[in-house]
Amino acid sequence: MAENHRLPIWSAIHADPPLLVGIILLCAFGLFILYSASGGDAEVVQRQATIMGGGVLVMLIVSQFNPHVIRTWAPSIYAAGLGLLLLVLLIGVEANGARSWLDLPGLPSFQPSEVLKISVPLSMAWYLGSRPLPPRFKHLFWSAFIIVLPAALIIIQNDTGTAIMVAMSGVFVILLAGIRWRIVFFGIFSLLLASPAWYLFLAQEHQKNRILTFFDPYRDPTGAGYNIIQSQIAIGSGGIFGKGFGNGAQSHLDFIPESNTDFILAVLAEEFGLLGILCLICLYLFVLVRGFFIAYSARDMFSRLLAGSITLTLFFYIFINMAMVSGLVPVIGLPLPLISRGGTAILTLFISFGLLMSIQTHGKEMGK
Amino acid sequence: MSGKWQVKDHEAERLLFDGRLLIAFAIIVLLFVALVLKLVNLQVTQYEYFSARSDGNRLHSQYVSPARGLIFDRNGELLADNQPIFNLMVVREQVDDLDQMLDFLATIIRLNDDDIDQFNARLERNRVPFASIPLRYVLTEEEKSRIAVNSHLLNGIAIEPQFVRHYPLASLTAHSVGYVSEINQNELDRLSENEKENYGGTNHIGKTGVERTYEDLLHGTVGYEIVEKNNRGQVMRYLDRTDPVAGKNIELHMDARLQKAAEEALGEFRGAVVAIEPATGGILAMVSKPGFDPNLFVTGISSKDYSVLVTDEVNTPLFDRTTNPYPPGSTVKPFLGLAGLQNDFVDYDFAIEDPGYFRLPGVSYRWGDYTLRTLIGGGHGRTDLQKAIYQSCDTFFYDLGHRMGIDTIHGFMSQFGFGQNFAVDISYARTGVLPSEDWKKESRGEPWYPGDTINSSIGQGYMWATPLQLATAASIVANKGKVNPPHMLKSVDGAPYNSRNDSAIPDVLVKDPDYWRYIEEAMTMVVHRPFSDRFRDYGTAYEAIAMADRNMSYKMAGKSGSAQVVGISQDILSSTDIVVSDLNKDHGLFISFAPAQNPHLDPLIAVAVFVENGEHGSSVAGPIAKAVTDTYLMDILQIDFETMNNLPPLSEPSNPALITGSDE
Repeated sequence: MAENHRLPIWSAIHADPPLLVGIILLCAFGLFILYSASGGDAEVVQRQATIMGGGVLVMLIVSQFNPHVIRTWAPSIYAAGLGLLLLVLLIGVEANGARSWLDLPGLPSFQPSEVLKISVPLSMAWYLGSRPLPPRFKHLFWSAFIIVLPAALIIIQNDTGTAIMVAMSGVFVILLAGIRWRIVFFGIFSLLLASPAWYLFLAQEHQKNRILTFFDPYRDPTGAGYNIIQSQIAIGSGGIFGKGFGNGAQSHLDFIPESNTDFILAVLAEEFGLLGILCLICLYLFVLVRGFFIAYSARDMFSRLLAGSITLTLFFYIFINMAMVSGLVPVIGLPLPLISRGGTAILTLFISFGLLMSIQTHGKEMGK
Repeated sequence: MSGKWQVKDHEAERLLFDGRLLIAFAIIVLLFVALVLKLVNLQVTQYEYFSARSDGNRLHSQYVSPARGLIFDRNGELLADNQPIFNLMVVREQVDDLDQMLDFLATIIRLNDDDIDQFNARLERNRVPFASIPLRYVLTEEEKSRIAVNSHLLNGIAIEPQFVRHYPLASLTAHSVGYVSEINQNELDRLSENEKENYGGTNHIGKTGVERTYEDLLHGTVGYEIVEKNNRGQVMRYLDRTDPVAGKNIELHMDARLQKAAEEALGEFRGAVVAIEPATGGILAMVSKPGFDPNLFVTGISSKDYSVLVTDEVNTPLFDRTTNPYPPGSTVKPFLGLAGLQNDFVDYDFAIEDPGYFRLPGVSYRWGDYTLRTLIGGGHGRTDLQKAIYQSCDTFFYDLGHRMGIDTIHGFMSQFGFGQNFAVDISYARTGVLPSEDWKKESRGEPWYPGDTINSSIGQGYMWATPLQLATAASIVANKGKVNPPHMLKSVDGAPYNSRNDSAIPDVLVKDPDYWRYIEEAMTMVVHRPFSDRFRDYGTAYEAIAMADRNMSYKMAGKSGSAQVVGISQDILSSTDIVVSDLNKDHGLFISFAPAQNPHLDPLIAVAVFVENGEHGSSVAGPIAKAVTDTYLMDILQIDFETMNNLPPLSEPSNPALITGSDE
């Protein structure tokens, strides 16, 4: 309550200094690794830095709005997101196997599913934040509806990874809202039961491949298993101290696929070893802990649920990517937040940081 | 609507939320710990393993093929050298979709089905993963630049320079020097494990001729280099290198100028010329005509070019006429005569009255004199051994052969290399047939008939000999019985090679060394005995050789022969526009050595000429032998016989004849 009074500038621009420092350190770290991963391509790094700079700006713009105001927009943003998803179904453009891009005149092409990454937790926090907790069955039903509708539309676009992330950001709200454990265990149990059926009847060939490859990467070492094998070789050969900046043979000789994006952790692990990764994990933990603190100290349930969900979703991204690159989970095409090269996804990330800052900087002044 | 709303218990909800937040944080920490444990497993526990895997990824030991030894003629003229070409190489493991890649390549460079078939065959027998397999040899500059421009679309494709064999004399040395070509599966299977290693970087192996015989000398020892390669198989850095040891350079006895002269002397005829240096057994020239361009085979002959070569059943350019047998005809007569002298069936005084035919006792069938058949009747009259040789009198040899019997003939003539391969380094040469009673029983399952001996006595019937064998036999006569086994190799990296070390063939020993002079005189008469008033008393080759060149400054000993064509398949006859009667014409043969009867010089060259469908040995094959001999003695050795003939003769013959039981 009192801490921001000591730093009136931060308070005036609605920025949270610890979060800002953590984010900027991560960005710098990311640019540093990207420089090596891209083979010293200054253009790539510059472009990424520009996007990140724009991200910080977007973050600060978002943080200017009072969470109370943002809450009132939640249903409209959700409806707009659904509308865009429907539009994609009609006039979407395909890229990388997913028909999830919208190419509207006058706008840069973007993925409407990115909007849902924000609007699903937003509307879930809006919906459950004003209901008694733990949520009743009826409320859970409508919550499920809010989550499943956009997730289903994204799956239709053949972008399962994003659909899972969108759904998870909503699920986190439910979990934080205190859903009863037996329902949680029942849900996990029924998912486990349903998974063989999914595998047999619904899973696509490349999905089955990824799962088989996860259990035995060497069943197709030059095909499906190639990425994970090469990535593990890169990580393992990095050892504790790494091969040194720019000396990663695996990445510089192009053995690591997607070394700028999804598999950039392998480059880090190869060149900076275990210590480098621990460094990154510490930075992430710093940001995550700050996120938890913001959720913990937020004034109303909407803000708490939203901040908690945003923080958990960020963790989910980080963990899934790191676990996938090191062979702990099957390969899912997800970037490493703030490290991987990327475009609109980075902006989405900064919007969620903006929301965190908004909650942190406005909540305290708002009277109940 | 507000009635449905429950009263919110803010304090309870806050506790619930905080509890959940705590659990979430605990799970996060647990998951990070799991992640770090996994990373410790990869980066600490399995560090050595993955470090080795990483090196294995980027470090490649690759073979460095040794430069193949060069082949020179006796004057240092290159017969086989190595020239750079650029090849299109494919690393199969790095190509995602091979068919699509090949389709794309076919749009930017010349790439036909043949190339692709051969490439697939190479893929089949490739044994090293991530090896570069040749797809196309000899890229043009334009093709190279097109590939370079599209290289970003061509993962696993690279252009590699390579030195390949080149034969400057092309068809001139196609059979004798032979050629190298791509190693095939059979050849690979024949190699021992060590040799396989040594051939790891080698695409080519000697297939025929000298290239095949001296493969071990020419190949050299493979080298190695450690390179760093990227994911697309491009070499980024060279880290270590063991240099290959180049193959040895070898020098042949062959004289390229003589080779050319022989080829030109054959003119339009199909045939063969073999020339041997009697003093060493070195092969000076070995020409089979028509030849082919061996360079076609080096980089993989197209099936179209190949079918042209194999379907020509008349010219059979791939067929080596120097090492394949034909009936030697009358060229065997000097050897039979010598056998008669050695075994006391004839002496210098012995003579027959030749009626022009021969009859076995008690048999009415007449063996006509083959050489007289189409001429006026009658025989040669009184005929001794020398006349029988220079007039090529069949009747004399029918009688002599009949009296000696085939086994005596076999025993004596085998000393001259008939029926065997005396050549040290031409292992692929055929042995022909020097028949004997046992031979016929074994190979035909039939007894030997007296008539068989009659046919054999004039080099027909079962008797077969290669031009190489005939030249060898002539050189043994020129050497007065000393056998220097014929061979191609003169020196290896400058160190002289002596074929006698590798061969234990005994010399031909006769009772009286004068026999050699006598036979040499008879063979010299074949070329030099002029027409006279006496009936049928000139040398059979006089008109075509000595009379045709009245300025001939040296003497040449020779013997003509003609061989009946054994039979031509109807297929061949129907497949050619050559007049059928031409293909049924006799083959013409001639053997010779020179200078003969020279008091200052031993014979320097022995020649055998075979002319397919040449009809006459004396008039067609003889002048060819003369032309080759002329080139060697006059142009290459530049011997001034005119001046030499004015010198007094040497008191001692430089090359004394070998005598039976000379030790006693």
